[in-house]
Amino acid sequence: MIEKMMNPALTQLNVVASDWRDAIHKAGAPLVKAGAVSQNYVEEIIHSVEQYGPYFVIAPHVALAHAPSDAGAQHLAMGITTLKPAVVFNNPDNDPVKYVFTLSAPDSNSHLKAMQELVELLSADSFYQILDQAQSPDEIMQYVQENVAAEKE
Amino acid sequence: MVKALVACRAGVGSSLMLKIKLNQVIDEQGWDMEVEHSSLDELDSFDGPIVVTLSDVADDLKNEGIKKEVVGITNILDKKEIETKVGAALDKIGAK
Repeated sequence: MIEKMMNPALTQLNVVASDWRDAIHKAGAPLVKAGAVSQNYVEEIIHSVEQYGPYFVIAPHVALAHAPSDAGAQHLAMGITTLKPAVVFNNPDNDPVKYVFTLSAPDSNSHLKAMQELVELLSADSFYQILDQAQSPDEIMQYVQENVAAEKE
Repeated sequence: MVKALVACRAGVGSSLMLKIKLNQVIDEQGWDMEVEHSSLDELDSFDGPIVVTLSDVADDLKNEGIKKEVVGITNILDKKEIETKVGAALDKIGAK
């Protein structure tokens, strides 16, 4: 399921960002281009962080950038952006952020299976190794396909 | 059966992942718990005793004086942290 939300065009490696706002803009850009989210959705993510703090930095070095569906989530998609160097999001427990997963979910339940798979991916050390070492987005896509498929067997 | 609500700002991302991980812990521990997830907007209509959320949201809820047992999780992938903190909340309401 999650492999259908991802694709190489939504995946960017070793992106340089000047601060967390720049990181969110850059992480969101491919999803805007692909029509998965509106530009407003990206602005809403930034606005929400300004208002509430970095509520989506969910684990050490991991951000799940997202906003409420009605901010402009148009179809189900997951972008992956690795940041190099890592960027401070002002979340003292989990800073600095190295991996930004940008989620577009038009409703709150259709992506349950995909999120289960993301939890499993993020619970495996080998996933971070491939995120750190991959030379191209295709290598990450291949890892995801192999590992998500392996869980089903 | 204890009802817990996993809530986050948007209700589509962090709360869903935290719910998945919390359910794994519940299965492993054999706790008699039922978990829903939503955005914070739906908090008012939730009638159970426990709210589980990310730690910064938890701080805000505690400051607002919400009358629930509020559990804040720092690393939602860390089952040990979830087990310890939610376990303490169950103890506190006398459900364990």
